[in-house]
Amino acid sequence: MDALTLTCTRSCFLSNTPFMCIAIIFCLAFATPTHASTNNWKIETDKEVRGKVTGKDSPEGLPGVNIFVKGSTTGTVTDIEGNYTITVPGDESILVFSYIGFISKEVTVGARTTIDVILDEDVKNLDEVVVIGYGTQRKSDITGAVTGLNEEQFNKGSITSPDQLLQGKIPGVNVVQNSGEPGGGISINIRGAGSINASNSPLFVIDGLPIDNGRFNNTGTEGFTETNSSRNPLSSINPADIESIDVLKDASATAIYGARGANGVIIITTKKGAAGKTKVNYDGYAGIQNVSNTVDLLSPEEYMQELNAIIDAGGGDPSQRVESIDNGGTNWQEEIYADNAVVHSHNLSFSGGNEKTTFLASLNHFDQDGIIINSGFKRYGARLNLANKVSDRFNVGLNLTSTYSRDDYVAVGQEVNERAGVVYAANNYDPTQAIFNDDGTYMVSPWMQIDNPLAIANGKTSINNTFRTLGTVYGEYFVLPELSFKLNVGGDVRTDERATYVDKTTNWGRSSNGVATIREGTRTNYLFEGTANYNKDFGRQSLNILLGITSQNFISTSHTSTASGFPSDVTGANNLGLGDPNFTTSSSNKSGNQLASYLGRVNYSLQDKYLLTATMRIDGSSRFGANNKFGYFPSVAAGWKLHREDFFGPLTNAISTLKLRVSWGQTGNQEIGNYRSISTFSSGSRDRIGWDDQQYLTTEPSRLANPDLKWETTEMFNVGLDFGILEDRINGSLEYFQKNTKDMLIELPIPSSTGFDDQLRNVGSVANSGLELGLTANVLTGAFNWDLNLSLSTITNEVTDLGGIPQIITGNAAQTTSGIAIIREGDPLYSFYGWEITGIWQEDDDFSQTTDNVEPGSIKFRDVNGDGTVNGDDRVILGNSFPGLIWSVGSTFSFKNFQLYLFIDGQEDVEMFNAQLGDTYYPSNFRRNRYAEPILNRWTPSNPTNEYPSFINEFSQGTKAVNSYTVEDASYVRLSTVQLSYHVPTGSGSRISDLTLYVTGQNLFTLTNYQGMNPALNSRGNANFRVDWNAYPLATSFLFGVKLGL
Amino acid sequence: MRPFIYVLFLLTFSLLLMTSCEKNLEEEVFSELAPENFLKTDQGLISVLGAAYHKSNDMASSGTNRQLVGVEEFCTDIHWQLGGGAHNVDGLFNDFTWDANTYDFGWNNYWRAILNAHIVIESVEEADISDAKKALYAAEARFIRAITYLQFYQFFGPVPLRTSSNDPLALPRASEEELLGFIESELLAVLPNLPNPGEEPNYGRAHKAAARAHLCDFYMMTKQWQKAADQAQAIMDLGIYGLYPSYPDMFRVENERNEEYIWVRVAIADPNRATDCEFMNVCFPADFAKDPVSGLEFDPKWFNFGSNYKLRDNFVNSFEEGDERSKPILKVYINEAGDTIQALGNDDARSFKFWPDPNAASQAHGNDIPYFRYAEILLYRAEALNELNGPNQESIDLINQVRNRAKLGNIALTDFGSKESLRDQILKERGWEFYCEGKRRHDFIRMDKFVESAQARGYTHVEEYRERYPIPQFALDSNPLLKQNEGY
Repeated sequence: MDALTLTCTRSCFLSNTPFMCIAIIFCLAFATPTHASTNNWKIETDKEVRGKVTGKDSPEGLPGVNIFVKGSTTGTVTDIEGNYTITVPGDESILVFSYIGFISKEVTVGARTTIDVILDEDVKNLDEVVVIGYGTQRKSDITGAVTGLNEEQFNKGSITSPDQLLQGKIPGVNVVQNSGEPGGGISINIRGAGSINASNSPLFVIDGLPIDNGRFNNTGTEGFTETNSSRNPLSSINPADIESIDVLKDASATAIYGARGANGVIIITTKKGAAGKTKVNYDGYAGIQNVSNTVDLLSPEEYMQELNAIIDAGGGDPSQRVESIDNGGTNWQEEIYADNAVVHSHNLSFSGGNEKTTFLASLNHFDQDGIIINSGFKRYGARLNLANKVSDRFNVGLNLTSTYSRDDYVAVGQEVNERAGVVYAANNYDPTQAIFNDDGTYMVSPWMQIDNPLAIANGKTSINNTFRTLGTVYGEYFVLPELSFKLNVGGDVRTDERATYVDKTTNWGRSSNGVATIREGTRTNYLFEGTANYNKDFGRQSLNILLGITSQNFISTSHTSTASGFPSDVTGANNLGLGDPNFTTSSSNKSGNQLASYLGRVNYSLQDKYLLTATMRIDGSSRFGANNKFGYFPSVAAGWKLHREDFFGPLTNAISTLKLRVSWGQTGNQEIGNYRSISTFSSGSRDRIGWDDQQYLTTEPSRLANPDLKWETTEMFNVGLDFGILEDRINGSLEYFQKNTKDMLIELPIPSSTGFDDQLRNVGSVANSGLELGLTANVLTGAFNWDLNLSLSTITNEVTDLGGIPQIITGNAAQTTSGIAIIREGDPLYSFYGWEITGIWQEDDDFSQTTDNVEPGSIKFRDVNGDGTVNGDDRVILGNSFPGLIWSVGSTFSFKNFQLYLFIDGQEDVEMFNAQLGDTYYPSNFRRNRYAEPILNRWTPSNPTNEYPSFINEFSQGTKAVNSYTVEDASYVRLSTVQLSYHVPTGSGSRISDLTLYVTGQNLFTLTNYQGMNPALNSRGNANFRVDWNAYPLATSFLFGVKLGL
Repeated sequence: MRPFIYVLFLLTFSLLLMTSCEKNLEEEVFSELAPENFLKTDQGLISVLGAAYHKSNDMASSGTNRQLVGVEEFCTDIHWQLGGGAHNVDGLFNDFTWDANTYDFGWNNYWRAILNAHIVIESVEEADISDAKKALYAAEARFIRAITYLQFYQFFGPVPLRTSSNDPLALPRASEEELLGFIESELLAVLPNLPNPGEEPNYGRAHKAAARAHLCDFYMMTKQWQKAADQAQAIMDLGIYGLYPSYPDMFRVENERNEEYIWVRVAIADPNRATDCEFMNVCFPADFAKDPVSGLEFDPKWFNFGSNYKLRDNFVNSFEEGDERSKPILKVYINEAGDTIQALGNDDARSFKFWPDPNAASQAHGNDIPYFRYAEILLYRAEALNELNGPNQESIDLINQVRNRAKLGNIALTDFGSKESLRDQILKERGWEFYCEGKRRHDFIRMDKFVESAQARGYTHVEEYRERYPIPQFALDSNPLLKQNEGY
């Protein structure tokens, strides 16, 4: 409970809610003494009973139905035709018929010797099946920490990619948007972060295919600035095709994915058809989007007045005085952000089938204009899901999707000066200048080395086309009703081609006479998988055994060509041959890796009270060193359904279900990149030597080999409590976990006199722990219905071992700021590291206490070691990126045909480095625009504030951009989504089965003290290292939509 | 149960087993080179030798400006820096407030150069190349290794002395004698195996005069005056070097490979910025449009960085009347608004020595950066003889050669009553001759004027320990045996 109490002492928004009390009550429930139940069974005369079990919709008979004599261990299973024979001890015996997906039935034998039974389908139970790795399980039988979302629970509104469906919804899953651009990158951390150099992203599995989420084109193209995190590869998956998303969080659930399980697993299941009438569904919406927030910069008048005043006070450069405002000046932010950017989406699906074959076919078109001019995203997709019963024993199926998507990029990224992207340029540009010169060309400020923001937005074009096809084909054969073999073959082929052109209206294009870059890449992987499944219910006990072998191969290739020196802009990137042959370069690359694995799982249940799960995966990866090719990843978990115990009886009125779960396991992380264990010779793009005034290519060793290199191992302990209160009107799960990552891959600095500054080794450890609470409640029923969903999670992260190195100082924002964060033992990963500002030097201060170059109006930094000078040794930890509390509340109100949905989410106790605020304090040029607040309220002799400096000699103490002003509290509460829908009544005879109209507002309102554009946006692209700089902002959008079912 | 079904599934599973067998887990490398065969070939060895050259004087991108000029002149009376993202580092060099976290001084690159040199030295014997090439490549690699250690020493003093790629991972710093002894003995040892100047396989590769120039520099640094004078004389005796007639034109891209350049960093105006000279990018004033004296106009295809390298007024004003060497200095310019801006007088004059390359490709200019010019050999010999004998006619004559080329009149022996007064004259001459060529800090230290000069310019906190730069913090963090220089 420590973590929970801790967050309550902080200023969290929900600290007074009753949920904590409920949690405490449940903890106390364990203290209830156990009563042993007694067994009253007595011996009678045996007799044989036979019969046939059918279902309402399966008159031909149900195979594999479990039948047992109540209170005994005697049991049997129906055969293929649904027939059974069982020996019972006497007429008083009670037979229990149970079958997954059906309501169990008890029948007293009496005098009969033939008993035919019809079982009813259990609709509720069907809903509660959870998809786990390599299979499904009844939710009530789950022993690990698994949270599922179905379509109704998904996020609503304009959703580009599947991961946005679960943003904020699942306790323990932190989804952070890296960029607000259409299809922009997202980083997801499940239960904190355990790695520095390997990926912290979860594994995505779509219909049984673990997908390669690797990214293309995330390095700069010449003259074109890219965002730090490339667009989201998942956006090629149509969110509307998704039926459910299940998140595997603890090691018991993820260990079946072995060396890819350490960061959690997100399983996506697409919609399937059902036997019956063919259904046609259309869901479409259209809407507008606008930038949700801009930064408060100096207006032209303020800029002129304040900058000149700073010059008058002795700062700046007298030759850079602001003389006039051209044409009323320019609000550059207004110029680059689009008004009412359009988004629209259309989904059409057909589904249906008969007893033998079911199908779903869907078409999708999504088109989103970005809120920065000239950016956008389009997708055209199709899906076909087929399942066929070849015979009673043999099923085959296909899940296939193919998409074309087009990304229109605008140059936005973490670059500065001549390489700047459009947001940086707009935020820094001189507001007193006009957009154009008199001759119609773009005005370029002489005071800074940044191109005109509109020249960047209009003169640099980059279009990426992605073609992606992924799918699986499977065949499943039942040797016995309880024994099946399944063969699953899958593949994912993604081809990207990106064409970029920097034209001559831009500075860069002018100096190179146009630069064109074409990049092409293919990422392919294919999967072979065989599993055997044994499923047997012995009555009091049931057993499920899974064994499997799987291999997956990944190959990626890329090719880049760049040309410059074009006679004209007309051909853009469409004819590199027109470029100057001396300046044409090309490069290509190919790499690959393989996984070969064995897996097994046993689920055992006793009396439907005691549950046990054990899993094991043996993973071989080509990425591991020669001495460590195979890793072993075991897990065990136990569950106890307390509500099934007799002693629980008195409580059942209040608490309808109560299940305790405990799990332990080890998982791995192999996302270390290829070829990291071996030494090769390679050549970087700038590894050239000029001899004879020509360039010669040079090569050198890529790295120091490490044949012992292996996966990172994460050991997780999880204890969870699933509960249902008041006949399951309130349902929830409470989890506590400890997650320790050891053998962490660290680029361990080795004495650089070896010629290598580091070697990738398995040395460090990181610990994460946290508490998670998920609740759904049906608060009101009846005419006015109110459903409530709540998610709360805490996370504590600590580096526990760094392999002997004292610290790693890391992270930069281009040239302006480096060494933003520190990694050291005892502190969270990527703790912000800088100087604490204690105030401003005032005229009557004692200046003898410092030897630094300060004057009244200078920033007063804390001299931590008291040596009279403030330097690198005086840096302290200023915060970190792990939120103390992540929470969300979803609320659905229904009244008659109206439904109102609200979703509010927030984070507490989290910091972010606001690099643009750092630029305000340390501008690269005097004439750059800055945040208005500090400049307008700066220190002057007549305004001796202790808050803001004079901005006169900013650099007199060096650049200390990472400080307690710029590392800001990034807590927020956000009204994420509001949706009002109206279900149009259709007559009973109507062909229309469903017609719903809705309006949705997204990202409507954010409450925060953060000064930057948005506290929920992290342009650095790493959820556990938040740096806000030049981010593509988030949109506020309003949509109108229609759902139509036939 | 029908047995054939079992057989079928067994077969399927065996197939799967085979596809997932361990052999498949060997990494297949497609786009990089395996060392075994690669290092046996001429091309392979040349490319690694090239990497040794490349990393010992990394010309890639604008970092060269700081590495070659910034750290050698911001802390002296010549240059200072303002503006751009670079200022947060360069400002500390202006102000003598640098510490171990400020800058890496090419630390990793230099060790890479030494590693690559070791790979060549250790692989030549097994390579399928002629004996002559084996001897040549080994000599060049040892030359690169020696001059890299010399560069290290000039920044930090002694560093660990690594003489093979098999040395232990962690090594302590060598003693002064060990490191200096190694540099001297290696340069002397490879001298016979290096080609005569002009006979090297490619312009930019090592030759005898380059080795002698480094030896001369080394002896000057270690105040072995006679040896320095001898090495200078040996280069003069080659008879192939001379002073380029026009000082202002010498550094233009069309005049490189001239008789004065002994050892240069070859630059090419390549848009990839791998081997270019980017000095002009930091020399244009922010709003520069035109130089009214030369008529040079800013070509929009050039780049003008936020970082600005500015000449101090006192330095620009110190030139004698008529000194051609001050010609490439921009003292006044016309800005984009058409106003005439006085740069001199605001500590804002600029060196336009590395005159813009007409074929510049955006940031990249192609001017070779000279490291040893013949003028320096003459001035080194003049200085060494003065240190040995006091003012003497030979020294005066050598200095006058350099002055005459700059269209200045002679100085006379009678003007100099003491060794110190001639030394001061040489220091001035060297400033005028070599500004923007990264020599000044060495000169100050050798003549024991580093601290004095800093204090005279108002940096009263400067102490002698700043004559050496601090070992970068990350290097200390990764090697417990490495000790920081005193004072830091």
